[in-house]
Amino acid sequence: MLARLGLLLYVLLCVVPLALGLGYVAAYSFGLIGLLNHGFTTVHWQAVLQDKAFWQSLGFSLYCAFSSMSIVLISASALLMALRKQLSRGYLSYFIYFPLVLPTLVAAFICFQLWSKSGFISRLLFQIGFLSNLEAFPEFVNDACGIGIIFTHAFMATPFFTLLFLQLYKSEKIQALQDLALTLGATPGQTWQKVALPILWQKSIFSIFLYFVFIMGAYETPLLLGRQSPQMIAPLIIRKLQKFNLQDIPQAYAITTAYLLLLMGVAMAVLRNLKMRAV
Amino acid sequence: MTKKYRLLALLTAFLLVFPILFVVMLSLGKTWSYPALLPEHWSVATWSSLFQDQRISQGIVLSLIISISVGATASFLSLLLARSIAYSAHQRQWLVGSYLPYLVSPVVLAAAWQYYFLRLGLSGQVQGVWLAQFLITLPFGVIFFNSFWNSHIRSLEQLAATLGGSPWQGFWLVSFPLAKGPLLICFFQSFLISWFEYGLTALIGVGKVQTLPLLVFQYVGEANIFYAALASCLLMAPPLLLLWINKRLVFIRSEGMEDQKE
Repeated sequence: MLARLGLLLYVLLCVVPLALGLGYVAAYSFGLIGLLNHGFTTVHWQAVLQDKAFWQSLGFSLYCAFSSMSIVLISASALLMALRKQLSRGYLSYFIYFPLVLPTLVAAFICFQLWSKSGFISRLLFQIGFLSNLEAFPEFVNDACGIGIIFTHAFMATPFFTLLFLQLYKSEKIQALQDLALTLGATPGQTWQKVALPILWQKSIFSIFLYFVFIMGAYETPLLLGRQSPQMIAPLIIRKLQKFNLQDIPQAYAITTAYLLLLMGVAMAVLRNLKMRAV
Repeated sequence: MTKKYRLLALLTAFLLVFPILFVVMLSLGKTWSYPALLPEHWSVATWSSLFQDQRISQGIVLSLIISISVGATASFLSLLLARSIAYSAHQRQWLVGSYLPYLVSPVVLAAAWQYYFLRLGLSGQVQGVWLAQFLITLPFGVIFFNSFWNSHIRSLEQLAATLGGSPWQGFWLVSFPLAKGPLLICFFQSFLISWFEYGLTALIGVGKVQTLPLLVFQYVGEANIFYAALASCLLMAPPLLLLWINKRLVFIRSEGMEDQKE
């Protein structure tokens, strides 16, 4: 009885709101509901799928997520390889948690104040004579390559993955495996390349995927550090929703539906892959 | 430790701590014109506005009320819901529903929910923001407690049942005392999800429900970097405090274990 009541509550509080939201978005995008809609149509979907901005936005989100995660995995692995002992005890074991207390919004604000043309780094370079004027400083924020967005996410995620790798390194007894590889004639470099890193990356694949998706759907960082074109997917959806042109609303919902379908497809593929590996 | 690694550790520590020191420095500045490296004038005026500027003080109180109540409700309820899911025959399938809100960005979810909140008269209301934040924190709690309801806890409840306890007594007198530690952790995490939330709050609250993250964004928009830095410091304060408490507990516990070994 208690269990059934719990399941019912779960459906009401977790499943129904999600289904209602996604259902509304999909129905709106197909013209079934909404202010200017008059019945089923695929015209909004056609408009979105032919819109260069949508594909650019999707590509840009993928690029930002991929670049950030690449930096994160390389940095976290390097930190583990070089500073494993210091990360386990001493001041570094404390300081490694500091970036985890930063909300995304604050991290983006700090990045802007550090790396904008009038930011701290530009001032520092000016003071030591590397810069002649403010304009000579390259664009790191609100730039077309999303450098600010990528590095903000990388900065926030690197400590998390360093700690995750450290935990896995201990729990999977990787040190013992590396010692074994050494006795079998491997070089120290090979023990990392062929033994430790593949285990660490494989064991944390689900966390990597979740963080990848989190970066893809980022809103605050591109809002502060990005530009209107190319724009990441979440700000694009919200921009289209908040435009005065009501015809943009079904398109915004079509983008949302397409993005969700894509994510669900990828998530299912990843989960199936993980299951097959487990078998 | 060789000199090279010591230097690398120092550099890493500096890179990790510098952004926080930088934002604290900005909150203490008054003027900072280019190309000055540090603010030309320092002042605690921004910090004293904490008690004078109603926008900030109200933002803190509102954020605290929403985050504490969301954290507490979501943690307790998710403990119960996770139990039902963990003991059901289709645990994995049920759990998918909890992962989905995290695949979808909260702000995108807010865009999908906006219509219903409008119809229910919750748009632009504190209750609306509370409900929206609760709906995204609850699945997190369910995922969190899924591993708590393992076979060990189940067998303890079954033992209580064989000794004549009712299912409710099994939960309340056996499992719940064991869940107090995880409940506290789940509360902290849920509190932080709610405390940091910007996009969902901005959309459902339509800018009327001014929590601290919204204030940061507002001050950035007004190019008021000193106030934005102050609001940022206030946003970072609870997680820093939790980190300090957590580290202290860990250190005390490990020292205790060392003493026991001796």
